[in-house]
Amino acid sequence: MAPPTSTLLDVAARTVDTVKVYGRNESVVRALDGVTIDFTRGAFTAIMGPSGSGKSTLLHCLAGLDTVTSGEVYIGDTAIAGLSDSDLTLLRRDRLGFVFQTYNLVPTLTAAENIELPLRLAGRRADPAWLETVVAAVGLADRLGHRPAELSGGQQQRVAAARALVTRPEILFADEPTGALDSRSSAELLAFLRRAVDEFGQTIVMVTHDPMAAARADRVVFLADGRIVNEMIAPTTGDILDAMKKLGG
Amino acid sequence: MFIVALKGLAARKLRLLLTAVSIALGVSFVTGTFVLGDTMTATFDKLYADMGQGTDVTVRARPAFTDAPTMGSPRPMPVDLVDRVREVPGVAAAEGGITGYALMLDKSGKPIQPGGAPTLGVSHAEDEKLGGSISLRAGRAPAGPNEVAIDAATARKHGYAPGDRIRIVFESGKPADFALVGVIGFGDADNLAGATLAAFDLTTAQQVLGRPGQVDQIAVRATDGIGPDELRTRIAAVLPADLEAVTRATVAGEASRAVREGLSFFTTAFLGFAAVSLLVGGFLIWNTFSILVAQRGREHALLRAIGARRRQLLAAVLTEAVAVGLLASALGLGLGLLVSGGLRGLLAAVGIEVPTTTLQLESRTVVAALAVGLGVTLVAALVPAWRATRVPPIAALREAATPAHTLPKVRIVLGGALLAAGLPALSWAIAGPSRGGAAMLGSLATFVGFLLLAPALVRPLVAVLGAPIARLGMAGELARQNAGRTPRRTASTAAALTIGLTLVVAMTVVATSMKASVADVLVRANRADLILKADSQMAPGIPAAAADKLRVLPEVGVVSPMRFGRIQVAGQTNSVAAVDPGTAEQVADIGVASGSLSALADGEFMATVDEAKAHGWQAGDQVTLRFPHTGDHTLRLAGTYTDTTLLGAGYLITIPTYEENFSERLDVAVLVTAAGGIPADALKRSVQQALADYPNVAVQDTAEFNAAQGATVDQLLGLVNALLGLAVLIALLGVVNTLALSVLERTRELGLLRAVGMTRRQVRACIRWEAVLVAAIGSVLGTVLGLLIGMAAARALAGEGITVLQVPIAQPLVYAVVGAAAGILAAITPARKAAKVDVLRAVVAE
Ligand SMILES: Nc1ncnc2c1ncn2[C@@H]1O[C@H](COP(=O)(O)OP(=O)(O)OP(=O)(O)O)[C@@H](O)[C@H]1O
Ligand SMILES: [Mg+2]
Repeated sequence: MAPPTSTLLDVAARTVDTVKVYGRNESVVRALDGVTIDFTRGAFTAIMGPSGSGKSTLLHCLAGLDTVTSGEVYIGDTAIAGLSDSDLTLLRRDRLGFVFQTYNLVPTLTAAENIELPLRLAGRRADPAWLETVVAAVGLADRLGHRPAELSGGQQQRVAAARALVTRPEILFADEPTGALDSRSSAELLAFLRRAVDEFGQTIVMVTHDPMAAARADRVVFLADGRIVNEMIAPTTGDILDAMKKLGG
Repeated sequence: MFIVALKGLAARKLRLLLTAVSIALGVSFVTGTFVLGDTMTATFDKLYADMGQGTDVTVRARPAFTDAPTMGSPRPMPVDLVDRVREVPGVAAAEGGITGYALMLDKSGKPIQPGGAPTLGVSHAEDEKLGGSISLRAGRAPAGPNEVAIDAATARKHGYAPGDRIRIVFESGKPADFALVGVIGFGDADNLAGATLAAFDLTTAQQVLGRPGQVDQIAVRATDGIGPDELRTRIAAVLPADLEAVTRATVAGEASRAVREGLSFFTTAFLGFAAVSLLVGGFLIWNTFSILVAQRGREHALLRAIGARRRQLLAAVLTEAVAVGLLASALGLGLGLLVSGGLRGLLAAVGIEVPTTTLQLESRTVVAALAVGLGVTLVAALVPAWRATRVPPIAALREAATPAHTLPKVRIVLGGALLAAGLPALSWAIAGPSRGGAAMLGSLATFVGFLLLAPALVRPLVAVLGAPIARLGMAGELARQNAGRTPRRTASTAAALTIGLTLVVAMTVVATSMKASVADVLVRANRADLILKADSQMAPGIPAAAADKLRVLPEVGVVSPMRFGRIQVAGQTNSVAAVDPGTAEQVADIGVASGSLSALADGEFMATVDEAKAHGWQAGDQVTLRFPHTGDHTLRLAGTYTDTTLLGAGYLITIPTYEENFSERLDVAVLVTAAGGIPADALKRSVQQALADYPNVAVQDTAEFNAAQGATVDQLLGLVNALLGLAVLIALLGVVNTLALSVLERTRELGLLRAVGMTRRQVRACIRWEAVLVAAIGSVLGTVLGLLIGMAAARALAGEGITVLQVPIAQPLVYAVVGAAAGILAAITPARKAAKVDVLRAVVAE
């Protein structure tokens, strides 16, 4: 509907009145109920909200992993509604990065191979300097030859983060990346994500339940019943806890 | 627990079907073979029973011994014996009959040569009842020297009808024209087991078949109130000692037994192929159930944790196996009826035509199908099922996927030991001729050893064979890693293909060596320029007059006819060749060791050095040989020879000696050399011209003969490989099945790959390359094993005429490449499934 304008140039992704309905007839669920939001380039955004509020759904729709029922989704200037499966795949491969809650790595590949996976799928080689930077940033230089089964959960998530960054994606999406980690591993991963934003200007959108994690973000968006209900800029953990209490989540 | 098992089945119908099909194909071969065998036996039994319907007793020459190849023409007896039999009290009718060689020509003058079946000339019985089921379908019975009646099948196929004229060639070589006056049927059948039949009145038959005043047998009908046994005794009393009287039951029994014996070779062969398919199918079942058990490790552990007993788990898995087995048996039984049709076609291709009747499905066949289908499935599922019961309940709580099994030590030790014993045995068998025992045991040990160690070989093979694939990009590299991921699974999937390919390649080595040996024999042993044979492999031969006709040609040097028969020496049956001593040396080198072939006289014989040694004979000894029709005769051993490759007979006699003892008068082969200075093609042209009247004689120069022999071997090889192809097909089904299960297992991984940017095309390529790799491993192992085993087998058969070991290079390579490439086909469905994996669902699944 609304074509991108010059004022939106530094928007990495945005949704316009996005609605996502699951199921039919009696069992209809409005997972997203008219969400309009911009994600600024170079910013670290956290999405919070009670369970079932539509956080994952929003992320999946943004990433083209799921289709929206109505409304629009843009990655940069690209409206992803009309893209074919193959175009979506290439979009994900070349312009997006992912970190999921669990199961981020291909078990047969070493850490290094997992990191290079998206590039290799594109038939490209990693820029060695950038690769080194990323690997150094995750602090896994001595673990590159190991397979996922030989890495701890936290290390696996950091490998996943490195993989997500290695293509220099326009946006990195992370869905509860610390969900399965202890507090120390969480802190390490979050530190890494923070550095990616600060030092490389990476755009990150992260879903989380953890107020401490959200506090590392530049901006926190609250969802409830598929709608945006609150938004905070650079909040502290305490601010976030207060907001959560208000939401009753 | 049954409910758990059955729900599991219902949820995976396609896989159930796929698994069942692998066994069903093997079962279908078993049932097909039984059905065809039963159908053929029933058909022929009925045919012969009907034929002999009106004949209570048959008088015929008493053979000294019987042996399938000698069942040709019996020794004739004088026609006045018929009158003597007719006078025996209780005989209502007695009629002499005669059977011989009569080759009919079609309307364009080409010989009507049924594949494999004989071309018969017979006397037509005047007494309708003695004719049995023979009836005139059209026209009337032949009477007088110019009339003939022919079988309905020939009439139908070649458009003959009463009123036509038909040309017929006889043993004498002279074609003669006859008025076709009648068409004969045999009960429901249009011909007698595929043979063509020309019927004349008795006098004419005797004339044209070259036996005036003689009959082969006398058919006798009893008057009412006298039993066949009683009549038989009465008739036997008036017969000379060398004749016998037999009842209808005896004749029918003999005919039936002959059919069964003739068929037994094929049924055994077909059942052998069925066994191979079942073995491969068993591998597949084993593999499928192993994967299922591995995948359901957590489910089983959970069941155990909540109180399921081991026995219950075992029962649950075996229930699934029973269901698969039952489905397989049922499918196999149905398919078997189709297969029996296919096998009948194969038999027709090698010249055994079976009249079409209703298929015989006997209860034994159904039982066999059930037993085989269920049995193989259960046995193959037993170990995986047992493994399922070993899953500790704690595994339910562990996140870890199925642990990577290491090979049990027993397996490695056993496999290593078998290879350590098998490989030297094989090399020893390859190093020398006729080491059959070593070849067989060595092959078996090496084969089983390889299969046991295969999982250990998978990683290195994947590394080597996968190297070029990995270079193709990420999809290739992932494929390589996936193929090496569960070595056991890859190994047993590939093993199924290995079995098929091993046999195919081994057969090819043996066949190639066989062809090379034939060619070698021709170069070494044959001195003739032309070889004349009957046009059809199974036709009895060439009229002797043909050779006479050639002798007068100026282009011809010598003409040397050869005939063959069987004799018994000290109770053992052996082949005897009849040659013309005056010319034989000029056309063949038989490696005379003592005495002289050219000096071989009537009443003398030569034997191979081996035979003479075995019986302790010296040159000049008087030796008793037993001939099938004339019994024991004492002949003088005139000399010995070594080379049986051209003649294929352990004994040699002269043609006059042969004619005294055998009733066959046709030359099986005639070898011809050119007169001095005559080029081969000129010789061939003039011989062909001279034999224009002998339409069924094939004139071949040595190159053509060689090619024809090679073509026969190739045809046989093609047939065998077509049957083995079934095993390869089943193995490919196994690749499909394993891949499909693997795709299912890796849904999350595939989803992840898709999420981070793997295109559908890349997913498909990945699965495809994995399939190719697995197939390549099977093919490479199979080719290597097949070459080794084939070489050992070829060497072991040195005594059977495979004197040269020739290892084909191109063919096995082609098989290996085609086998590997077939992986692409096997990957189609699994790859499509993998590409369709729902990314989101796979990624968010817990
Ligand atoms: N595939 C689906 N089919 C039907 N309903 C779905 C589906 N996926 C999600 N939903 C529903 O949509 C709503 C939003 O789900 P979503 O996964 O986005 O929640 P969330 O905010 O990520 O929750 P959590 O914090 O538990 O991960 C929920 O009510 C959920 O039940
Ligand atoms: Mg969620």
